[in-house]
Amino acid sequence: MNTAIKFQNVSFIYENSKTKALKSIDFEIESGQFVAIVGSNGSGKSTLAKLTDGLFVPTEGDVKVFDMDTKDDKTIFDIRKNVGMVFQNPDNQMIATIVEDDIAFGPENLGVPREEIKERIDWALESVGMSDFKRATPFKLSGGQKQRIAIAGVLALKPKIMVLDEATAMLDPGGRREVMNVVADLNKEGMTVIHITHYMEETLNADRIIVMDGGRIVMDGAPKEIFARYKELDAYGLALPTVASIADILIEKGMNIERVMTRDALVEELCRLM
Amino acid sequence: MLSDVTFGQYYPVSSPVHKMDPRVKILLSILFIVAVFFVRTYSGYGVLLILLLLSIIVARVKITAVLKSIKALIFLIVITALLNLLFTKTGNLVWEWWIISITDDGIRLTVMMALRLLFLVMGTSVLTLTTTPIELTDGIESLLTPLKLIRFPVHDLAIIMSIALRFVPTLMEETDKIIMAQKSRGADFESGNIFKRIRALVPVIIPLFVSAFKRAEELSYAMDARCYNASKKRTRYRKMSIHFRDIAASLIYIAFFAGVLTFTYQWFDVGSVWWLVA
Repeated sequence: MNTAIKFQNVSFIYENSKTKALKSIDFEIESGQFVAIVGSNGSGKSTLAKLTDGLFVPTEGDVKVFDMDTKDDKTIFDIRKNVGMVFQNPDNQMIATIVEDDIAFGPENLGVPREEIKERIDWALESVGMSDFKRATPFKLSGGQKQRIAIAGVLALKPKIMVLDEATAMLDPGGRREVMNVVADLNKEGMTVIHITHYMEETLNADRIIVMDGGRIVMDGAPKEIFARYKELDAYGLALPTVASIADILIEKGMNIERVMTRDALVEELCRLM
Repeated sequence: MLSDVTFGQYYPVSSPVHKMDPRVKILLSILFIVAVFFVRTYSGYGVLLILLLLSIIVARVKITAVLKSIKALIFLIVITALLNLLFTKTGNLVWEWWIISITDDGIRLTVMMALRLLFLVMGTSVLTLTTTPIELTDGIESLLTPLKLIRFPVHDLAIIMSIALRFVPTLMEETDKIIMAQKSRGADFESGNIFKRIRALVPVIIPLFVSAFKRAEELSYAMDARCYNASKKRTRYRKMSIHFRDIAASLIYIAFFAGVLTFTYQWFDVGSVWWLVA
């Protein structure tokens, strides 16, 4: 496994600000992993996302993507080609009035030949299950559909890493599920995924969870380890998935069940008792 | 509330005019506008009317859609007509009352100016009814390509135009939301004189601007993340090409343009060439 993204002692201060938005962040993400970064508002998780593809450059320390430094102007577009970013508001990341034109934007910028752009559009739309909407107007689609189009627009760059910067924050539960399914599929096919969110439910399928608070990494580990420390999570303003908290309460009341995360698993556990 | 404002008012049917190269359509529209400015006789307008009707029929656009485009400008047309009618003092007096005097020159000028404005609006609406905004920007970009030689940022201009068009519905929706939010807090947009009403819009415009700037910032991140400006040799997904219908349309327009000039300047006596045809 090679390293996809490496943060080395990274601090970041916004212009016109004195306080550090990020304080000596150090971590590595391996290729192919599904990493969830969680934290409450102002924890610095979105700032961290923008540092991964050079939209922000660290005030101190280095950010490296496949060993390329984000500070280096010569490789910045190679980095951005490899790191696809999806943002929070689907309306603010579409540049065209027709779906296919919007997806073509990235490859056009890279100077990809026209025939290949056509192939990439069809492939990207198929990957997110939106092939029927090639000639649609994004304006008329639902939030989840718009966000899937945004993912397709990023996929057309053929990135190796996908960063979702609170991409589900503005969606209804149905839309969130749509987007998470697409992301899980991409991860199965080898895409490194960094999913930034404050919904703990969306971290269930992650290989690793990084918890941020006040510009620092405060927890880092597999979902089971992190969820076991639910009292600390609570202190950082993060709520456990509903099912996990139900299981916790039941265990506290003396029921002999496993501490599970999903609804189906909890149903099974309870049936086992009867 | 604002959703009935049609912008770009594309009329989605399939027709030879819809399929034409946008560049050719833009150039022919310009030719039409130039022709309208040359016309000084009723017969000249007759020629242009035939051309206009021909274009509308071939474009399969409903005549009512074209007439609708006039509605927005009817105020302007009426005002210019009144000014022309009342302030032309040359020619023979036709009617006089108190300080108002109307001359035959004035009537002629009024009719001519009104016709000119009507034809300008109808002619350009055929373009916007049959061409999507994105085709229009692509066409304009392509036509401006020579300006790249003097380092004019043609491509950036095209991107700015297409993003502006892209955000029209988004910002309209947002305006609606803000108006409703302010109404629910007791803002009053419907009573008082015109100045009061304009003042009432301030609490709508300020939040709209704030959010537009926020959107602009996010959009610029999204564009950077998708490698905007990565390559000098940017490719184009959409390809424009000139077909037989473009050439045919161009020839028809040029023929009519020649006809307009002939009628206007009386280059030769129209009556005397009839024997050539007969």
